[in-house]
Amino acid sequence: MLLILDILTTAGILFVVSIGLLAVFGVLKIINFAHGAWLTIGAYCAVVAAKLGLNPWAALPLAFVIGGALGGLAEHFIIRPLYRRPLDAILATWGLGIVIGQLITLGFGRDVQMTPNLFSGTVEVFGADYSAYRLVALGAAVVIGVAFALTIEGTRLGLSARAVIMNETLARGLGIDTARVRLFTFMIGAGLAALAGVLLTPLTSVDPNMGVSWLIGAFMLVMVADASFLALGVACLVFGAAQVLISTFVSPILGSIAIAVLAALVLRISPKGFSRA
Amino acid sequence: MPDDVSALGRAARPERGRARLSRTAPFVAAGLAAVALWIAPLVLDTFAVNVLTRSMIYAVLAVTVDLLWGFAGILTFGQAAFFGVGAYATAMALTYLGATPAWIAVALALAVAAPMALGLAVGWLSFYHRSTALYASVISLVTPIVVTQLIYSGGEWTGSSSGLVGFDVLPLELEGFFRLAAFVLIAVTLAAWVFVRSDAGRALIAVRDNDARCAYLGLSPKRLQIALTAVLAGVAGLAGFVFANASSVVAPENAGFLFGTELVIWVALGGRGTLLGPVLGTIAIDYLAANLSGDLPFLWQLLLGTAFVAVIILLPGGLAELARRAWGALPVGRRSGFAPRLVVSPPRPEADASDGPLLKIDGLAKSYGSLTVLENIDLDIRAGELVSLVGPNGAGKTTLMRCLSDGTEPFEGAVSIAGVSTAGLTPNRIVTLGVGRKFQVASVFESLTVADCLLLARAPHDGLSALGRAETLTLPQAALDVLRMTGLDRMLAEPTRLLSHGQKQALELAMVVALEPRVILLDEPTAGLTKAERTTIGAVLKTLTADLGIAAVLVEHDLDFVRQISSRIVVLHQGRLVLDGTVDEVVNSELVRTIYSGGAHV
Repeated sequence: MLLILDILTTAGILFVVSIGLLAVFGVLKIINFAHGAWLTIGAYCAVVAAKLGLNPWAALPLAFVIGGALGGLAEHFIIRPLYRRPLDAILATWGLGIVIGQLITLGFGRDVQMTPNLFSGTVEVFGADYSAYRLVALGAAVVIGVAFALTIEGTRLGLSARAVIMNETLARGLGIDTARVRLFTFMIGAGLAALAGVLLTPLTSVDPNMGVSWLIGAFMLVMVADASFLALGVACLVFGAAQVLISTFVSPILGSIAIAVLAALVLRISPKGFSRA
Repeated sequence: MPDDVSALGRAARPERGRARLSRTAPFVAAGLAAVALWIAPLVLDTFAVNVLTRSMIYAVLAVTVDLLWGFAGILTFGQAAFFGVGAYATAMALTYLGATPAWIAVALALAVAAPMALGLAVGWLSFYHRSTALYASVISLVTPIVVTQLIYSGGEWTGSSSGLVGFDVLPLELEGFFRLAAFVLIAVTLAAWVFVRSDAGRALIAVRDNDARCAYLGLSPKRLQIALTAVLAGVAGLAGFVFANASSVVAPENAGFLFGTELVIWVALGGRGTLLGPVLGTIAIDYLAANLSGDLPFLWQLLLGTAFVAVIILLPGGLAELARRAWGALPVGRRSGFAPRLVVSPPRPEADASDGPLLKIDGLAKSYGSLTVLENIDLDIRAGELVSLVGPNGAGKTTLMRCLSDGTEPFEGAVSIAGVSTAGLTPNRIVTLGVGRKFQVASVFESLTVADCLLLARAPHDGLSALGRAETLTLPQAALDVLRMTGLDRMLAEPTRLLSHGQKQALELAMVVALEPRVILLDEPTAGLTKAERTTIGAVLKTLTADLGIAAVLVEHDLDFVRQISSRIVVLHQGRLVLDGTVDEVVNSELVRTIYSGGAHV
């Protein structure tokens, strides 16, 4: 029973971490390798919020706004010149990630930072104690997922974004300002990444390179989901389950590479990943 | 020569710049470098010798990344994994077997063979019919992660996170390892230099530019990519062998994804698509890093990261591009590019004039979901026939061409070439059955010259030299005719991206004809051409079919043109074959008039 909870919460955390990358990949068709750096930015927003003596939860909107604003700058100066060179965009965003990591190191030092717990303690589930925060994280994943779905389905930006995903040339021909759609999408993606960074603080240590370890998993999940929002949810559940089961019953080391290896195999067999199903 | 070439066009240029150097130039340069590096340890201090030994080993890896990424267009983070496997194979062999000369030889063999085997597996996983460049990069990312985790889980056997230390190594001093690293670097760079300048080196660039065209020339781009991955994995393993010996330490980071990205950064800064750029860039950056990162570790990383982002955006050719621009500004005469002499190949012995049709289509049907694009197509085409396929837009003509030339396309029914079924065959294997296809949009290699494009078209017949450039280019008479009539024979050294639309169409036709196919598929070969160019191409097609006995299938909208050259006309309408007859029968039929004037629903 606890295993199922572990799987669900792991999937929830993976979903929160990958959703921003998915939004960017879907609309801009590029992989944002600075995604990990934005997770780190979000986590340091929590650190700053704590230093300012704010309520720990206040870090969430703070991170979303700061992450989004920085994302806007990055889109304008780095991503935009590379629209036609998607492989180069991977490299440039990776370089950007290095720069951000070093700037954070210069500002905060390379040591692990302490953050106040967003939510502490355990709750009793089915007769066993379970980390309350993991359940909160799962709830946050659902909230973010629903909000994201509403944005896509119910707003003008969502409609434009869907048009750009399907056929960018046609969308531009119909008078949609695709450059603006790209900019806003990147800002939202970056904001969501920073938000995820705050949500990660109780689960991992906060240091300047914390984002990199999450990046590869998120990247593989997005590749398998192929820009489909529902497929991402499915991928997080399936691969999250694989990770938990392999870590529990085989070895934690194999569990840590389960997502990358399984995703690569799925892509080899079905290049569109889970989005076809 | 304009300097604002696209990123794709870049790799052809260093070759061109060096073409003026004589054939022996690389060897002279290598000799000089060898002498200089032999003397260097005598004048450098110990720290510099130590650091530069490592830098030169990294430079070997940079050459392999550059060949894959800069030349063949495969962005890879995986070379670190192969390097790590080579280094660990060496360290483990030396630790557990000992460092006698025999075991050192075994260690060397393992350090090359193990990464090559892994490289084959990675290549097989990365490159398959319809695989994408992004997927190959994904796999190259996964490989070092998996290798690192395997090292961690190896326990005492691999030393886990602390690695292996203190094993016995080659009996060399500091200077000896410096010279060994220098020797390996010079040898690998020289081999790479000779290779990329050779005819076979053109194939790398061709695969990067347009791997579909490669496949439709009968070359196997995937096999080339797999072979390249495996061989360069072996070279990376060799570098790992030298590294393990020179440092006497191996750690999981040596195989890691972060190291893989560093290699890409060095190559990008030095200048992808050139060889000296990445070599000098890697040595300079690693040497600077060793000197600076002690004092300002974070600032150094920050500067490097910033420089990397700036170079990717503003200067995709790296520092080598700057050097080349400076060199280009000097008043040194540039000789035009290399062009071989054209030679006529002896006419092929007349194909066995068997009675059966060359191309046979049986009940072919194709649908996308509920949308039926083609149904119930039966067609036999014999040697010497020129069959025109006409029909309004959306009738399924191009889809039919695709089904004929790619057996992996999902469709019902059967297609056979001279009695051999094409079911499940990839395009390059169908080409070897004797089918040549010309695309609707001219498909040539934009970074290569006219002569190089033709050379690749002849590769299945004449092979490609991996050592040098052939002095002559043998082409069948019909291909020469196409070149002569369109004036391309005087533009052999011209890069194809500078050709006009009509010239590109003619070049692609010449390439397809140079394959000496038995069946030739032409999708609107005259679209967008002038009247004179059309007449030329029409004349060539008539010669090919009437005199050489080639069967041709031509998709065409221009009914006048079709009437002049066809021996038979087939009308396709809404996915069905509605008429099949002689020119007169079809042109005078009521049906064709209604279809072309619109509104007919058969």
